[in-house]
Amino acid sequence: MITLATEVLVIGGGTTGAGVAWDAALRGFDVILVERGDLAEGTSGRFHGLLHSGGRYVVKDPRAARECIAENRILRRVAADCIEDCGGLFVTTPWDDPAYAERFLAGCATAGVDCDELPVTQALREEPRLHPQISRAFRVPDAAIDVWKTVSALADGARQHGARILTRHEVRALSRDGDTVTGALAYDLRRGQDVAIQARVTVNATGAWAGQIAALAGIEGVHVRPGRGIMIAMNHRLVAQVVNRCQMPTDGDILVPIRTVSVIGTTDEHTENPDDQAVPPAEVDSMLDEGEKLVPGFRQARALRVWTGVRPLFQDDKAQTLPTRDLTRSHALLDHQKRDGVGGLITITGGKLTTFRLMAQQTVDLVCWMLSRMRPCATGSTPLPGSESGEHYRLGERLARKEAALRERQIVCECELVSRERLEAVLDETETTEIDDLRRRLRLGMGPCQGGFCSYRAAGIMHAHGSLPAARADQALTDFLKERWKGIWPVLYGDQLRQMRFDEWVFHAVLDVEHLPVDGDAR
Amino acid sequence: MRGALRSDVVVIGAGSAGLTAAIRLAQAGAQVTVIAKGSGSTQLAPGWIDVAGYMPGERAPLASPRRGIERLVARWPDHPYALLGVQAVKDTLAWLLATVAAGPLAGYTYSGGLDANMRLVTALGGLRPSACAPVTFTAGEAAGLRRVAIVGVPALRDFHPRLCADNLLAAGIEASAHSVALDLGRADASALALARALDDTRARRAFAASLAAVVGASDAVGLPAILGLHEAPAVHSELQERLGRPVFEIPTLPPSVPGLRLYEILRHALRAAGGRLVLGASVVSHERSGERVTRVDTATAGSPSGYEAEQYVLASGGFHSGALELDSHWQAREAVLGLPLAGLPREGAPRFVADYFDEQPFSRVGVAVHADLRAVGAANVFVAGASLPGAVPWREASGEGIALASGYRVAELVAAEVGATPAPQSSGAAAPAEGVGA
Repeated sequence: MITLATEVLVIGGGTTGAGVAWDAALRGFDVILVERGDLAEGTSGRFHGLLHSGGRYVVKDPRAARECIAENRILRRVAADCIEDCGGLFVTTPWDDPAYAERFLAGCATAGVDCDELPVTQALREEPRLHPQISRAFRVPDAAIDVWKTVSALADGARQHGARILTRHEVRALSRDGDTVTGALAYDLRRGQDVAIQARVTVNATGAWAGQIAALAGIEGVHVRPGRGIMIAMNHRLVAQVVNRCQMPTDGDILVPIRTVSVIGTTDEHTENPDDQAVPPAEVDSMLDEGEKLVPGFRQARALRVWTGVRPLFQDDKAQTLPTRDLTRSHALLDHQKRDGVGGLITITGGKLTTFRLMAQQTVDLVCWMLSRMRPCATGSTPLPGSESGEHYRLGERLARKEAALRERQIVCECELVSRERLEAVLDETETTEIDDLRRRLRLGMGPCQGGFCSYRAAGIMHAHGSLPAARADQALTDFLKERWKGIWPVLYGDQLRQMRFDEWVFHAVLDVEHLPVDGDAR
Repeated sequence: MRGALRSDVVVIGAGSAGLTAAIRLAQAGAQVTVIAKGSGSTQLAPGWIDVAGYMPGERAPLASPRRGIERLVARWPDHPYALLGVQAVKDTLAWLLATVAAGPLAGYTYSGGLDANMRLVTALGGLRPSACAPVTFTAGEAAGLRRVAIVGVPALRDFHPRLCADNLLAAGIEASAHSVALDLGRADASALALARALDDTRARRAFAASLAAVVGASDAVGLPAILGLHEAPAVHSELQERLGRPVFEIPTLPPSVPGLRLYEILRHALRAAGGRLVLGASVVSHERSGERVTRVDTATAGSPSGYEAEQYVLASGGFHSGALELDSHWQAREAVLGLPLAGLPREGAPRFVADYFDEQPFSRVGVAVHADLRAVGAANVFVAGASLPGAVPWREASGEGIALASGYRVAELVAAEVGATPAPQSSGAAAPAEGVGA
């Protein structure tokens, strides 16, 4: 058993938790963050990559829309390197109620979301794959945000200000002293040991899992209703900017170009279990049908993988029967002293990625109040590590870097242009034993071949560079193949099936991963 | 009237199945034209000849390919080997060994047969059960390995000597890992680029000198499969000589140098037998008269071309080559001639399952054939290679065996149809029959 002490303990390493850690560390608090998996392994890493302009909420949830546009403007400054300023369109397709466009325009004006109508011919010039019969098009300041880069930068920034970020630490109990939560008992999954963490304030930033964590303190009734949605990554960028259907938000009505792919989202189904990662075939089918309405020929395009994200939708008891899409996208900050008579514990949940900074600010404001140490929030004006120049990420940056160092830098993943140097640096930083962690940090294995070439290379480098025993490197490789397959098989058709048959050849016919050596095999 | 090139036989596909069928038919005196969209997957294949290495689901390798064929057929009565039989596989291997020996790469030979699988070192340090292998591989047979030095080249990211060596250690072989530079002036060099570099006499001498400095007291040296493309036998024997111990190649990620060598040997044999090869020709349409295909039309870079023949061999591969397609509505089709498929999961049943290492229900799909390898619904189309249903070739370690033997067998059947007589052995070649299990 190891015992640690801190002022602020943050549970959850998604954007919210990392945002709270960054905010609190920047205000000078001593911070520990614990995460049961890897950073951004939960809901944060399982979304489509949209930095909202607020346009999607202007009619239905104007408060959420106002929050979005305000945060959008701030994040463009402080997280510039995590954002690609691709812009966004709302288009009226033949399937959309034409009357919605006027309500949308009025909503944008009220919420303060910049919105300009552009001629349809212009929209089609910019996005030639769009359905040719769109009748109206509006430009909004949507953008794409790389969530892994964001969470890494938040964690790096927090570390630079003294925070300790402990991944693969699962909280198993909250400690209580009378009516006050005094920290948590975590289990270090990597080293296999208990870690007791004493904290003056504990922040429950576990999103869809917030009810489970609150229950550890004996607090009932934190109803986070998990809304499960699937997203499909299509190879290449079918559109250059975010394209939304101009209608009340519904399934499959948005296509986000991010990095080398475009992501169509999303469905929204209630689930009881936030760890539910089911991908029902009917939902895949409906998503592809909706894709056809935005981009004709969508079904012939190459689908790379599908995944499930679980939105943390907070509701109070009276809203029990609403479909999840109709629950507010705004967040909930619960002071359990006031709410339940339990001190030392805050729950921050609900909300959405675009407003994580605001959520963190409000949370740490409450922390200040609880510790009677008022300190101003600085996250609105302090750039994250890597974003100091204020320049946005551009697609092609990695290629430019690669071309400048063609002779010196070996490329491990050609799809995403990940260099061996970067991979080794991440191995040194994180001491990870999972290729999937490298994927989140580097996008390794996320391109069209889905790890066909790079996963063997990564296993070889993890073994040669680090101290990972051969058997563990073999395991890392087979674990990664299994993990990737989960997102591949439900959308496996067309050219991606060709690719996977090729990958199968590599792994089975050449590398024979199914029969890795065990003791004394040769004799 | 639209012109067309007339042949006795049109073979669609230039993989090892298509080329084997075409060579055998041309050697039997038939006029053969091979048309292919790409150059087949031989160039991606490791270079060893898998015949029957594993029973799916069993960990232990099959000791004997002959027995393995029998077990596969007993367990899966629709397996392609059920249509081919052990004798055809045996004849095919004898023919292949003779064809390679008589090929343009003097001194480059294959050995092996149906009696016992070799256990050949993989890039991950595993031991692949394979029936035949080129001379550059065979010193890597596990049975003969005691103290082996595994040597990588830093510029080749597709081979990691430490992982290979440490896994061999786990298997009970005393292996050490080393690294020797072969500098082509770039951080990355492909196996092919490195092999071409070693074709040069001076480069390989320098490489041998660097190797000698690191391999220590080992009694064999394993290297990634980069030991020359056109000069492979010379590179291999020179390294053995200068290091004073056996040297072997370990195949790794595609493109594959040993695969390229085999492809060149087969292509040469086709040319020598008078066959024609048209690459970059994708079949876009065909004509039929009743149950017979009468003509296929291709889109090529220059202009569309038509091909007419008495008989057709479909050796266009499976889903990996694009010859079979699955669309987003989960409908599968044979894309070249629109032939019916076999081995499909029934309507509504899952195509794939969630565990990567489970057998995927979709993986045995292929073109439906009669017992004589004739396609169902097309009386003059014979099917060979990965187009055939019923196998999981990469997991069984049976891919090359099925491809070569079905190409060989189809050639016999088609020859009978067009009145040609296949030679019992590769004409003009001295067959080193002792290499093949009797």
